[in-house]
Amino acid sequence: MGAALPFAAQLLARGQFLVLIYFLGVNSWYLVLLVSSLLEMRRHMQLIADESRHLLLSSTLSPTISILAPAFNEEATIETSLRALLALQYPQLEVIVISDGSKDETVKVLVERFDLVPVKTIYEKRINTKPVRMLYRSATYPALVVVDKENGGKADALNVGLSFARGELVCAMDADTLIEGDGLQRMVRPFLYATDVVATGGTIRVVNGSEVQFGRVIRARVTTHALAGIQVVEYLRAFLFGRLGWNRLGGNIIISGAFGLFRRDSVVSAGGYLHDTVGEDMELVLRLKRLSYEQGGPGTIAFVPDPVAWTEVPESMKVLGRQRDRWHRGLADVLWRHRRMLLNPRYGVTGLFVFPYYVFVELLAPLIEAAGLITLAFGLIFGMVDWRFAALFWLTAYGLGTALTAFTLILEDISFHRYNTFRDRGLLFWWALMENLGYRQMTVYWRLRGLWKFLRGNKDWGVMERKGFQKPVGIVETN
Amino acid sequence: MVNRSLLDLVMLIEIALLVLAAVVFFAHGVWLFVSQKKFLRDMASARDSLTQLLTRGTINIEEIDALRRIPRDAQVAAFLEASRNLTGTGKERLRFVAREVMLLDRAQKLCLSRFWTRRLRGARLLARMDVADPLIEKLLGDTNPAVRAQAAEWAATHPAPSIISIMLGMLADPATQARFAVQDALLRMGSTITDPLAIFLESHSGLPAESGLRVATSLAEPKFLAAGLRHSASDEVGVRTAAANMLGAMGGAESAARLIELLKDPESLVRAAAAHGLGRMRHWQAAAQLAECLRDPTWRVRRDAGLALRALGAPGALFLRRALKGNDPFAADMSQQVLDLPAAATG
Repeated sequence: MGAALPFAAQLLARGQFLVLIYFLGVNSWYLVLLVSSLLEMRRHMQLIADESRHLLLSSTLSPTISILAPAFNEEATIETSLRALLALQYPQLEVIVISDGSKDETVKVLVERFDLVPVKTIYEKRINTKPVRMLYRSATYPALVVVDKENGGKADALNVGLSFARGELVCAMDADTLIEGDGLQRMVRPFLYATDVVATGGTIRVVNGSEVQFGRVIRARVTTHALAGIQVVEYLRAFLFGRLGWNRLGGNIIISGAFGLFRRDSVVSAGGYLHDTVGEDMELVLRLKRLSYEQGGPGTIAFVPDPVAWTEVPESMKVLGRQRDRWHRGLADVLWRHRRMLLNPRYGVTGLFVFPYYVFVELLAPLIEAAGLITLAFGLIFGMVDWRFAALFWLTAYGLGTALTAFTLILEDISFHRYNTFRDRGLLFWWALMENLGYRQMTVYWRLRGLWKFLRGNKDWGVMERKGFQKPVGIVETN
Repeated sequence: MVNRSLLDLVMLIEIALLVLAAVVFFAHGVWLFVSQKKFLRDMASARDSLTQLLTRGTINIEEIDALRRIPRDAQVAAFLEASRNLTGTGKERLRFVAREVMLLDRAQKLCLSRFWTRRLRGARLLARMDVADPLIEKLLGDTNPAVRAQAAEWAATHPAPSIISIMLGMLADPATQARFAVQDALLRMGSTITDPLAIFLESHSGLPAESGLRVATSLAEPKFLAAGLRHSASDEVGVRTAAANMLGAMGGAESAARLIELLKDPESLVRAAAAHGLGRMRHWQAAAQLAECLRDPTWRVRRDAGLALRALGAPGALFLRRALKGNDPFAADMSQQVLDLPAAATG
């Protein structure tokens, strides 16, 4: 090649090198995150060793928690999920289910199975929401409140829940999330450790393939379904080394909408959840963080690795594609809304490190990755790139990532080791290896689609089809 | 363009990393499998030995030796498990055995460590075994809040005057975790702390007073009245609110009179707490003043005043109905909402 190359080929080669350097940078940063999460995990495990939470469980001074569970057409899973919520081990707990204009029998199922009666109550509507049709309380479960409202989306449902909530803390979740029995006791810890904590998030794991009884995961298993299996590894990486690593390096700006605990006053003062975004959970967290810098007040977003909530992940490409597309649209929208924070020293570590990471690594990665893959293919076809470079590109972009993912599995194994059979270990490792062979490239496409839709102003949520938890989820064998 | 040796090197590093990860991951799996089996076996032996030692009338040296031979982690787990289910003489016996197998010595050594994580473990062990040890008392002043909180948890079952005095001093602990543990421990000590807390409240202000008032609210002893009245005039909103809550919990004519005054406080939190307190003590003589609060610009005050009126029974209901026909739409709306409530909703 060298001087004989035409200009286009030179450009292509340099572009390729830039992409290569980008991947090298990203993977190096992941390595830093991995080390950080290892240190954080070590500290966390030391802190909870031989811990007894009876004090929290039996104290009248424990912070009160209101769980907000928005439900839209959840008739298949609502009873099981709600029974599991009511059985959570926390002393001062209120469960508020908000049926967001469900068109199926969600409310009817709730009324019949939980002995609900319509009631009146006094509540302050501090956030504008769609009208509430009816409020119910259970004759059997004093801690249960069910709100039937007109459809307005998840954010609107959560805002209604905020108006009714009486707890000092509110736990925002999806109605189909399965929280482990002691999850709230663990999740509330940072609020007891420090006064400046505004929100905490816990680990979300994939329930597909695991054995579920009465809304509790009784045996964690790794699914043999390829798409769900790879997501098991993806979730482990995202939570155990992504968010845990950020805990030490400057704080998180994401708390999963499926399971997060917030200081109610702070959320209400901030105006609650935004309606016109598909990334309402991240938007709220980032807004709380931003307000803490601008107006003072609590602003720490803590991630606690041991409280576990389980969620069902999509097993079809179509649904997964819609989900990832929506997540990326949400990310783009949230980052755009708060673009003032980017590299702004006023916002401290968040503005100077965390926010730029989300912009340059999380948001723009699919663009750069797609550009790299397309030009690599183009270069190989037309002989402008030699195979060694292609191999180096692949190894840097994906090989290092696979190795880091494998180390995340070790992190899980030395800390919580929830998947403790050799079959599960084998499957986990297998899915970690497989992730980069097609799956990751598909997510690049979906995320690009999400970016495109964001630029076109699309704010559609899409539909998640659920199987319910009555049987082990994800028993379909595909490999 | 790309040097072959560079490519080989990168490939080699990645393969090595992957192989290393795989080996560690699976080897750890094997280790876990083996160690957990062993741990369960050890635990079963430790449980057996402990059961023998705790249920027999005499202490058997051989059983103690057998227990000593069990690995430390299983020993600790078995003792902690047993400690949860034992009180009184059973626990005393457990402590004796723990001392014999050197478990308490180890915990004491951990308490002296320069690493906070070890001190925390030591404190946890001693707290769970209910050991009255000056070492753990010292940890009440530890530099790490988690250790202080653990020591405070231990203190709940050891309400000696010196410990109560230290604990009261910790009510202003800068770490929330330690403060929460201290408040909770003081509450668990019960009436033992009434006199020292009353004296403490008399002589302190600010955050310590606010924390102390929270504890006093749960105890609601008449001895706190003087302090409650004094703090209800504090410059700090948090302290005044806590004092109003305490006066409401305690009841009595003097408390009621002060709460009526606090209905005019410039801070809405204090007004709401005062209204709530008057409702709580069913002080019907305050109905007119509470009805005034239905016109308060703050929603929370209006709600608490409305609920308080409802709690007063007939006199309160009369004022609520009157507000329905009044010229203040906010007062009328709140009255309507309160009157619409089912009986159970107002407690």
